[in-house]
Amino acid sequence: MKVNWNKIITLAVLMLSTTVWASDASLLVEELPLEKLTLEDCHLGEIRSQVKCGKLVVPENYQQSEGTKIAINFAVLPAIDDSEYKTPLMFLAGGPGQAAVELATGLNRVFREVRKTRDIILVDQRGTGESSPLSCEFEAVDNVYSALPDALTPAEVTDCVKQFTGDVTQYNSENAIRDFDAIRAALGHKKLNIYGGSYGTRAGLVFMRMFPESLASVVLDSVGPIEVPIGLFGQSGARSFNLLLENCKNSAPCHKAFPNVAQEFQIVKARLAKEPVDMDILHPRLGTPTKLLIDDTKFTGNLRFQLYGMEGRSMVPLVIHQAFLGNYQPLIGLMARTEGEQLVYTGLLFNIVCNEDMPRVSAADKAADADNNFDGKDSQLAWDMVCPFFPQYRPSEDFYQRVTANIPTLILSGNLDPVTPPSNGEYSAKSLPNSHHIIIDNASHTVAMSTCASDIINQFLTSKAPGNLDESCLQNIPQERFMTSVNGIQ
Amino acid sequence: MMSNLTRDLIQLKALVLKEYREAFRDKRALMVALMMAILAPIGIMMISKIMIEKLVDEPPVYVKFSGAEYAPQLIKHFADNNLLAFVDVPADEKSTWQQRSITLNIPANYAADMAAGKPIQLHLQADFTDKAVQPPVRRINNALRAFSLSIGYKRLLLRGVDIRLLNPLELVEQDTAKPDATFMLISMMLGLYLMLAAFMSGLSVAIDSSAGERERNVLEMLLCQPVSTLKIVLAKLISASTISVIGVLLILLLTSVSVGFVDLTKIGATFSLDLSTAAILLLLLLPICFFASACQLFVAFQTKSFKEAQSTVGMLIGIPAFIPFVISMMDDRPQWLNWLPIAGQSMIIEKIFKGVELDWLAVFTTSSVTIVITVALILALAKKLKSEKVVMALS
Repeated sequence: MKVNWNKIITLAVLMLSTTVWASDASLLVEELPLEKLTLEDCHLGEIRSQVKCGKLVVPENYQQSEGTKIAINFAVLPAIDDSEYKTPLMFLAGGPGQAAVELATGLNRVFREVRKTRDIILVDQRGTGESSPLSCEFEAVDNVYSALPDALTPAEVTDCVKQFTGDVTQYNSENAIRDFDAIRAALGHKKLNIYGGSYGTRAGLVFMRMFPESLASVVLDSVGPIEVPIGLFGQSGARSFNLLLENCKNSAPCHKAFPNVAQEFQIVKARLAKEPVDMDILHPRLGTPTKLLIDDTKFTGNLRFQLYGMEGRSMVPLVIHQAFLGNYQPLIGLMARTEGEQLVYTGLLFNIVCNEDMPRVSAADKAADADNNFDGKDSQLAWDMVCPFFPQYRPSEDFYQRVTANIPTLILSGNLDPVTPPSNGEYSAKSLPNSHHIIIDNASHTVAMSTCASDIINQFLTSKAPGNLDESCLQNIPQERFMTSVNGIQ
Repeated sequence: MMSNLTRDLIQLKALVLKEYREAFRDKRALMVALMMAILAPIGIMMISKIMIEKLVDEPPVYVKFSGAEYAPQLIKHFADNNLLAFVDVPADEKSTWQQRSITLNIPANYAADMAAGKPIQLHLQADFTDKAVQPPVRRINNALRAFSLSIGYKRLLLRGVDIRLLNPLELVEQDTAKPDATFMLISMMLGLYLMLAAFMSGLSVAIDSSAGERERNVLEMLLCQPVSTLKIVLAKLISASTISVIGVLLILLLTSVSVGFVDLTKIGATFSLDLSTAAILLLLLLPICFFASACQLFVAFQTKSFKEAQSTVGMLIGIPAFIPFVISMMDDRPQWLNWLPIAGQSMIIEKIFKGVELDWLAVFTTSSVTIVITVALILALAKKLKSEKVVMALS
């Protein structure tokens, strides 16, 4: 049974916006190495020099340490200058369901200053990458252009779940953190610095609660605090979109080119809701005839995806205006950017969100979130379709406690973020006694990936004084800019 | 009653002490002899700094833009790459950039042609034979190409093309060098300077205690004493090579300090000279120190005068500089090079810095060959000193 998750993957995920190609997931159950820890030289992604790749064998269920074992895949980007030992930086990926090791190329670039003196440790969270990935077989030829985000049947979901090997209920956030701390210990580090981006911040907060003594400092970039359930992105998406419209209005060239873009968006949406666009196009990659189907949900879903990063945002007014004129080519081009790529391991994504966050969301919460002028309740569709048919588990009671660990913590938020708005960061800033919250005006999701915040992080790892950092470089981040013509900028 | 061995040792000790006294008496001459060992680490530091700056630093370039007002985004992109407008040049650099006079002309129809999708030609004027102009021109080229490509990509994207089509092939380089391989420039220089120090530091002492003593008639007196010529030669060898070893030690010590002042991480490299590496280097170079002094003594005794000795032995210094250089240029190295003194050692040093595991057999062979040749030179010299021809420089 092949399930096409991509039908519904226009949903919102807490994902890192690095432009890194994910590699194919190996679905083979690998043979476990005999030793508990293996570590060897290897090449990763596009990194020129050799790095270290390793596996650590851990119990699938930490309550039954003699039971089934799984191997956790990880990589170490060794410090360039290792003459002096400095506490390494462990990276906690987003999603949930992004595989950290697959992001190595981009992270090696983003954290190049950090890596000069510190090891960077990337761990594939259990259920992602090469750590027993939870992923269903994708349709061989998977056409994002002709597919509509139509309903998945319960049978499709349960058939997919059946493909998972192992006890899915053990693939939860708390066990992932136990794995991370086990890798810390196995590598012989007394303490770690952690950087969590997006869902990685949730993981980071769980880490702070479970193993505070293992952490020297914490960076939370685009926070998903315990207090805010992951999965309700209607209001935050609308906020981000409305900021974009406002910024366009305040920018003379954008306002001149698209004076009515807000209305045009609503008109296109209504038009597509009434009757989806159905036209013949050339497949953007294959160059052969194919069909393009776009309804309102697919339209807003693709726009929502652009809101995560500044480059995608710069094209949104133009794309809306052209769609208004009946030209969907710009939208097709945007869809092509990530066509055919597996961005997250969907099995793990649903496993965690459906079990750790959705049970806390009431019907009233959902209604309130759906009351917005951007994509309504579209961002909830996937959870509604999949969660009822997913295996259930509940995290420990402690899981929902506010995290109050007294560890130096730097909190970062991008004001334009469509999924983790600055108000999320405020929750953690309030509960964590030794923290400082930096809100970057002209940045979107996971700010360290695209701004000089990565240098501020480097400073912070050395000084461990979150409130006393040189943030001046943030002043140089330019105002949001927009493309005003399909031929480029002046 | 003293045993023969004890008496031999006492005699040798007296002779060595005499040579040491001679060698260390003139402190200024000694300092000059060790000067290279002191200056080399500073040289390594300076050269590395300059190289790294050339590799990574992008100093501001000032360009005379004409028509900048037509292309504000392009000018902004240039500024992001530290390519700035000539009007902003600081006063102290003004004349330099005035002279270089790099001019970029942006046509008045830039905006209209951009919107119409027409190709736009920008004209870059400079004296391309001027060496100082070349790096800025290259950077302007790269910045412009990147900007142009990013617009091109977006134009296609907005026409519904999958822009990944533009890169059908991509070569990913995977460097198999050990991750802890050091910055090659430093290790090459250090290897070379270590060899030079082994040869140069003891040079003046070797010449002075051979050709010099002969001219001062000290040698004759020494040979009249009831001690074997072998002991006399050994004492001279020990004294000269001690200075060489001091030179090598100084370089190792000072380099490990001076390299700390260079930020090698800028170019993704590192250099650390830990104790075990330093010990292995010293072990490798000890035979070379003795070998060098033996060669120098041997050649100096063959010459007729102090002056001749100075110039002839001076030529010997060329060897340690020349051999590693030739070897580093050779891609296919014959096996026998491994055993040759100097050549063998410099190849092992290269491997140590590359982080390759040490081949102890190679260390042993090349050290043995070096020691054997040294012993042969000493024995030959001891025999020669029995002849009046050599002592009186009559040949």
